[in-house]
Amino acid sequence: MEKIQWHIITSENAEEVFKKLEADGIDPVLWGLTDKDFEMLAKNFAQIRNKMVETNAILDKYKEYYESTDDTEN
Amino acid sequence: MLGFRLFFIGIIVTALAGGGYYVMKLQKDNAILKANAIKMESAISEQKVLIENQKKDFEAILTANKELNDLMGKLKTDFAELDKRFNKKNRDIGLLAIEKTKVIERITNNAGDKAARCIEIASGSPLTEKEINATKKSEINAECPSIANPNYIPY
Repeated sequence: MEKIQWHIITSENAEEVFKKLEADGIDPVLWGLTDKDFEMLAKNFAQIRNKMVETNAILDKYKEYYESTDDTEN
Repeated sequence: MLGFRLFFIGIIVTALAGGGYYVMKLQKDNAILKANAIKMESAISEQKVLIENQKKDFEAILTANKELNDLMGKLKTDFAELDKRFNKKNRDIGLLAIEKTKVIERITNNAGDKAARCIEIASGSPLTEKEINATKKSEINAECPSIANPNYIPY
């Protein structure tokens, strides 16, 4: 997966963060999340990941079951 | 007198013919019964094999269900751990970020990288040797140890 960089901006460091972005040649614009929204994002991400693991595990079990049955029948 | 003899002989001949027919019928019935018994035995052994296979199927399904339930339990634990990281002992992550901005930024980026690796693993990416061999808290992917570190036992 692509690596992403999180920036934490507070009322105190906002100016410094934007200046650093400009100095690094990055457009001085950021998409923002509150601390609660960040928590929700992290949890949503974890839920999606868990669902993927669960679905893959179920598929593996079906595969294991049907492929082993085919072997005994042949 | 002759009529009586003929009648008597007729009865004997009829009795012998009837007896012969009866014996032949018995033999025929016996052959049918034997054939039926063979079919029954074959059907019983087929049924036994079928029941045995059904038992094996049932056990395989139970085992698969148990393994899936165990996995769900581990995933729930991972999720609960994530919740703890945000809310343990009334922790206010926002306040912490104001007080220790750089530290929280570093922790967030580390956790973000680990969470991205979790998605790769969940999508089928094979585990690295380092992930497989991780047994200590400092070595694991704390975002999803249940899928990233199979040898890690929480302590």
